[in-house]
Amino acid sequence: MHIPDGFIAPQVYGPAYGAAGVLWAVGLRRLRRRLDPAAVPRLAVATAAAFALMMVSLPLPGGTTVHVSGVGMVAVLFGVWQAFLALSLVYLLQAFMLGTGGVTALPVNALAMGLGGSLAAVGALRLLGRGRVGLFLAGWFGTVVPAVIVAFVLGLQPLVARAADGTPLFFPFGWAVTLPAVVIPHLAVGVADGVLAVLAWRILAPQEEP
Amino acid sequence: MIATEQLRHAYGPTVTLAGVDLVLAAGQKVVLLGSNGCGKSTLLKLLAGVIAPSSGRVLYAGRAVHEGLRDKGWRRRFRREVGLLFQNPDAMLFNATVLDEIAFGPRQHGLDSAGDRARDWAGRVGLDAVLDRAPWTLSAGQKQLVCLASLLVLEPRLLLLDEPTSALDPRSTGWLVDFLQDLPQTLLVATHNLSLASELGERCLVVGEDHTIIHDGDVLALRGDHEVLARANLVHTHRHRHRDGEVQHRHYHTHDWD
Amino acid sequence: MRDRALLLGYLAAVVTATLVHDPRVLGAGAVLVLLSAGRDLPRLLRRLLRATLPVVLAVSLGYVVAARDDLATAGAVLLRLDLRVLLLVGLALRVLPAVNLQRALGFSDSLRFLLVLATSQVLAFGRLFADFRHALDARTPARVGPPTALRHGAATAAWFVRRAEHDAAAMTQALDARGLFLDRD
Repeated sequence: MHIPDGFIAPQVYGPAYGAAGVLWAVGLRRLRRRLDPAAVPRLAVATAAAFALMMVSLPLPGGTTVHVSGVGMVAVLFGVWQAFLALSLVYLLQAFMLGTGGVTALPVNALAMGLGGSLAAVGALRLLGRGRVGLFLAGWFGTVVPAVIVAFVLGLQPLVARAADGTPLFFPFGWAVTLPAVVIPHLAVGVADGVLAVLAWRILAPQEEP
Repeated sequence: MIATEQLRHAYGPTVTLAGVDLVLAAGQKVVLLGSNGCGKSTLLKLLAGVIAPSSGRVLYAGRAVHEGLRDKGWRRRFRREVGLLFQNPDAMLFNATVLDEIAFGPRQHGLDSAGDRARDWAGRVGLDAVLDRAPWTLSAGQKQLVCLASLLVLEPRLLLLDEPTSALDPRSTGWLVDFLQDLPQTLLVATHNLSLASELGERCLVVGEDHTIIHDGDVLALRGDHEVLARANLVHTHRHRHRDGEVQHRHYHTHDWD
Repeated sequence: MRDRALLLGYLAAVVTATLVHDPRVLGAGAVLVLLSAGRDLPRLLRRLLRATLPVVLAVSLGYVVAARDDLATAGAVLLRLDLRVLLLVGLALRVLPAVNLQRALGFSDSLRFLLVLATSQVLAFGRLFADFRHALDARTPARVGPPTALRHGAATAAWFVRRAEHDAAAMTQALDARGLFLDRD
């Protein structure tokens, strides 16, 4: 689900930076106002944990491998705000340390995965509890909801940025293409994320209790 | 049995090995000495074929490992015959119980009675009591032994051990030294602990801070060679005052010596 | 200063490259970026292709099929799109690794502090993660199936979560011991 630079029009990444910027500022202020001295170190390691979780890859039938998104797990473990900031930091560091990821796509990724995915995952968990179903759906929604948002944003491009002759200036396909092309594979990837969340929790849970 | 030719490795701009030539003969017990960061772990990973050299090659039974690993049958044989113990045992442990962990290798290789083999080897390294425990709940020393048993259960021909005593207490360390000496396998044991070197093997390779092999030979001869030891950053000198006199002097010093 | 200037220059170039739609300008920009790599050109090209080729190919082929009635127009659209992607991704690969993020974003102490901590943790976790992958590789004679991969993935994920909690506690104690929280009650 990595959107490269060049697919998103300024009409979209501009406002996306605006929205994400406000949320980043609010998140960082919340972090500072909490008088918990561990808050900043916790966010730093949450970022590293999110980074490591994203590197976990699983084989799909047919011989390809897929990286899990890890969004659901990060959100369940660290909460929506921390997850949003941590995932945003991962995209920022990936862009700078590896030169990948793309700065025009960064706010879209941060909002889609960091915010949309985290909210969906934590919502699923609140609704269904920390049982197997709740954890699975947290992992699944944490992957699928961002895919829907990314598909929506990509499909928006030909509507908002067109040349004088009506041809698209950025990503050329509308929703009729992006929704099935992006979302359907992620319905399957989400299963991997969900199962992973359930299994990892089974390892972690016995140690959570005093 | 295994050899390298002008083996080089770099992570980006950082050189980790700068041209290593070595030959290990079957049955040898060899110690790989060097200070932290000199490239010992990298060398073991290259020998086990889990990372690729930047240039040069590793030869196992006469075939270049990185080329051989692409061949399914050869890879199966190589993975059966060469075992690598990671410095961080956690990196190796992911099964639900100690028994499953040790039986993982035999099951992967389709060997019969994997469970019995696992139980047998767990007993030999003293893990009978924890067979049903989850590996991640064990102490660091026990984890190291689970990893070791997971390798030995395949009865490999070559064992590459990266700091196998790092998490063991003195009693277990002594036990492991004896245990390794009695194994029939070819051994390459990496350590930065000089005092263990003479106990673990008769031949010693020293990786210097220049990431090349600066000594290959008898362990006892090495202990007298202060120049090599200092170059490899295995000993230090500091001001020294003895109780029986006023004299201050300098001499070579290691705090883990015997 | 250098880092902030580099970052601002890069951002200005990115915005410009998304406001200009003439393929000749986009192409010239892409060529400039490539030439600026000098002797590193083959490496830059390799990384550029690896980063863009799959998605650019998929989108381009899909578009050609969808617009097969008017290939001339489709060609013009794709030329503009693909040159822009090349220019922007090339620019990112060329410039961003040279920017010291901590220094470029040094206008806020706490942000810089967070970035330093996060970067060092990410690098450490990246190295540790490689060991987990290598260990599985070393222990398996063939590609593992989904059940093993899932078990391994879950154990790895759990280990990193625990490690993160442990590191956060240790880091807080270290910062506390060094007097960082003296101004707080």
